[in-house]
Amino acid sequence: MKAFPLYILMIVATLGAAEPDAPSAGEKAYAKGDFAGAVESWQEEARHHGINPGLLAALGNAEWKLGRKGRAMVCWERSLLLDPHNAVALAGIRHGQNAGGVERPGATWTETYASVAGADLWLLVATLSFWAALGAVLLPRIRRQPAGEWNQRLRVTALTLLALCIPGLWGARSLAHRAVIRKTEISLRLTPTQLGEATQAVNEGDVVRTGRPFNGHIRVTTSDGKTGWLRAGEIEPVWGGGLPADLDQKAAP
Amino acid sequence: MLRLSSLLIGCLLLALTAHGDDRVNWEITPRITAPGQPFRLQIQVDSDVPLGGAQNVGRDIRPPRGMALRLSGQILRPDSTEATLNFSGVAPEQEGEYVIPSFNLRFPRKMISVPEIKLIVSKTVAFIRTNQARAELSIPDRTFYVGELIRGSINMRGGEQESVVASFGLESVAEGFTFGVTSDRQPLPAEMGQGLQTSFELTPIREGLNEVTINGIMLIQSGSTSVFNNAGRDRPFTFRRRIAVEHVPKKGRPADWSGAIGKFTAEPQQASNEKPEVGEPIRLRAVLTGSGNLDRIVPPEIMSSEVWDVLPATERRRHAEEQRFFVYTLVPRLPGKQKTPEIRFSSFDPETKQFSRLVFASAEVTVTGNAPAKVDLVTRDPAAPIGSDAGLKLSGLAKPDPASGSLFSRHSMIEPLAASKLFWSSNGLALLLIVAATGVILIASYLASHPQIMIHWRAKRGLQRAIRQVTRARGNSPAFAKIATGGLKLGCAAILGAETEAMTQSDILRVLPEAKRETLDALFNAADGNKFGFGTTIRTANQEETLILLHLVRDLL
Repeated sequence: MKAFPLYILMIVATLGAAEPDAPSAGEKAYAKGDFAGAVESWQEEARHHGINPGLLAALGNAEWKLGRKGRAMVCWERSLLLDPHNAVALAGIRHGQNAGGVERPGATWTETYASVAGADLWLLVATLSFWAALGAVLLPRIRRQPAGEWNQRLRVTALTLLALCIPGLWGARSLAHRAVIRKTEISLRLTPTQLGEATQAVNEGDVVRTGRPFNGHIRVTTSDGKTGWLRAGEIEPVWGGGLPADLDQKAAP
Repeated sequence: MLRLSSLLIGCLLLALTAHGDDRVNWEITPRITAPGQPFRLQIQVDSDVPLGGAQNVGRDIRPPRGMALRLSGQILRPDSTEATLNFSGVAPEQEGEYVIPSFNLRFPRKMISVPEIKLIVSKTVAFIRTNQARAELSIPDRTFYVGELIRGSINMRGGEQESVVASFGLESVAEGFTFGVTSDRQPLPAEMGQGLQTSFELTPIREGLNEVTINGIMLIQSGSTSVFNNAGRDRPFTFRRRIAVEHVPKKGRPADWSGAIGKFTAEPQQASNEKPEVGEPIRLRAVLTGSGNLDRIVPPEIMSSEVWDVLPATERRRHAEEQRFFVYTLVPRLPGKQKTPEIRFSSFDPETKQFSRLVFASAEVTVTGNAPAKVDLVTRDPAAPIGSDAGLKLSGLAKPDPASGSLFSRHSMIEPLAASKLFWSSNGLALLLIVAATGVILIASYLASHPQIMIHWRAKRGLQRAIRQVTRARGNSPAFAKIATGGLKLGCAAILGAETEAMTQSDILRVLPEAKRETLDALFNAADGNKFGFGTTIRTANQEETLILLHLVRDLL
C-alpha cells in the first residue's frame, strides 16, 4: 500500500515530463523556409484529416510567403470564420493590410458584434432560444395549467437571448457575403458584360462585399464603397469551401 | 487509258468554257503518281491581251490536304499574250483522286480563272522512293504540355539519283504554337546519308488538339537529266501533324512550380566572394542545366532572412546553351560561418509525367566584420505600457500553429449552418407540425363548444340524402311518405334543438308555419298509419308540396 502513492507520483511525473508534440512536416518545412513544401504538406493534411482554424491560418502564412496574396487572404478569412479570435489569422490579415497593401472593408457594428462568436453559434443559440420560448408558451396550455414561475423565467431568458442573437445573425449574414479577389490586374466593370467599361482597378487579395449575381458576374462593393461587377471566376467567396480554389491554372510563363 | 482520256476531254472542255477569249491548259507530269511521288504541273494561258508576270500565285492556290505544291517559275516573253507557269509538287501519301480547286491567276492587265485540276494517286504506279530526294519530319509522338519546348527537325534526305543541295522558304502555320528555326541547313548526320537538316522549336500555347503545318522547299540536283525527272529543280514539302496539348496536371503540382517543363539538374551555388564583410554584397550564381523550356522559367525567389538581405537579381536572363543562370545579390547581415539560402525549384518531366523538386545546394561563406546593433524588427504598439502584455505586433506574420483547434473543429468544407438544408427543413417541419396541431386543436375546441354546428351540418346532409331518395320514390307512396317524414323530422329537430324521433306535425308547423296541416297529416298517416291499421296513400299534389317543404327546411339549416 505504501507503494501506491509513489506509483501515482511516478505517473504524474511521467505525464508532466512528456515532451510536447513533435512539429509536423509542414511546420518543419515552414521553419526551414521551404514554404512551398509547407503548403503541400498542410494541404495534404487538410485533405486527409479536414481543416481547422489553425491549419488554415498556417496555410495562409505559407501562401503569403510564396507571394500568393489571394490564396493567403482566403485562408485567413476562412480561419476567422471558424475561430474569430485566431491570433495567427488576425496577425496575417493585419500584416496583409499594413505591409501588403490589401484592402478589406471595415467591419460594421453588427459584424463586430457577430465576430464575438461564430456564425453557427449565433444560429444555434437563436434556434434553441426560439424553441425554448415556444415550448414555454405552449406547454402550460397543453397541460391546461397556469404558467409557473420557472416557466416565466424561461420565457424571459429565451426571448432575451433570441433578441440578442438577431444583430449577431445579421452580422454573420453580412460577413458571409464577402469574397476575396483572386486574379491580378483586374478592374471593376460598370456593367456585367464581357466588354463592360473598367471603372476602378482592384488587386489580388482585396476583400469585397458581394451582391447579386447576373450574367456570370457578381456585383461587388470595395472597401472604399465603390461598386461594380466582377466575373465570378475572379473572386472566391469566403464561405463555401475548404482550401482555396485552384483558380489560377498556371499558363506558360 | 479510260481515265486518261476522260481527263484530257475534261481538260479540253474546261479550257474551252473558261473564258470566251482566254484559253487555259494544264498538264501534270506524270498524270498518275505513286504516293509521295514528285510531279510537275504546267499551266499554259493564252489570252487576247499581253499578260506579263503573274502575281501572288501562291496566295490563291489551295492544294488539297497532304499535297505539297509550289510555283517554280514563269516563262516570260515580252509583250506576249501567252504565259506558262510551272509548279512542282509532291503527291499525297494516300491513294485517291485529288482536286486542286479552281483559282485565279492575276496578271497586270487581266485576271484569268484556272479550272479545277485533278491528280490521281495510285499504288499501282512503280516508284522507288529511295531514288528520290525526300523530306521527313522528326518530332516526338506523344502528348505535349502548354509551355513545353518541343524540339523537332526536318530531314531532307538525298536519294540514290538525287541529292539535296539547299533549302529555303521554311514556314509554319500553327495557331496554337510558337515556331522558331534554331539551326538551318545543317548537314545530316552521317548515318542518315546525304542531305540537309533544319531544326526548329515549337512551343504549345494552348491546350487541345492543334494542327501544325510546316511548308518548305528543297533544291535538288540530279545526276541525269530527262523530260520526266526534276534535275536541278526545287521540290516543295508539306507536313501536317495533329498534336495533342494538355495543361500540366494539377494533381501533385508543387506550389512553387513556375512553368519549368523538362529534365533539369541543379548545380551547387557559387558565391562571388567567399569571405565578405558584413554589409558587403556578394553575387550568388545558381546554374540550371538540362533540356526543356529554360527560357520560359521564372527565376525562383529567395526570401530575405535574419542572415541575408536578398536584392533582386540583375542578370536573370543570361543563359547559355542548355543552361540557365540565376544571379542574386546577397548582403550578409551577421558575421561568422554562414550558408547561403537554399534555392528550391520544381519542374515537370513530360516523359514520366511526374513533378520533381531540385535544390541548389547552399554555398558556405565566412562573413567577417561586426554585427550591427540588434534592431527589433517586429513593430510594437508604441502606446502600449512598457513591460505590459500589450506589446502586440502591429505587423509581421505570427508563428503558425496548425494544431490549434484540431480537437473539435475539423471540417471538410466551411459552410455556415445557415446554408444547411437539413437544418432549415427539420426546423421548418417541426414548426409546421406545431402550427398544424395548434390549428386542429383550436378547430376541435370551437366545434366542441358549439355543438349546433355539427348538428346542423349532419341534418343538412341527411336532408339532402332524403331529397334525393324522395325524388326517386315518387311512385311508391309509403316509401315516399316514410323518407319525407324522416327528412322533415331530422331538419326540424336540428332547428328546434330537439330529438328527431319526438317530432310531430305540430313541431314541423312551428318551423314551417306556412305548411298545410292537411298535407302533413296525410304524410304522417301514409308513413306511420300502417302501424295503427289505417294506412293511406298520398296524393301527387301533396308529394309536390312535401318536396317544397323539404327544400325549405334544408335552406333553413
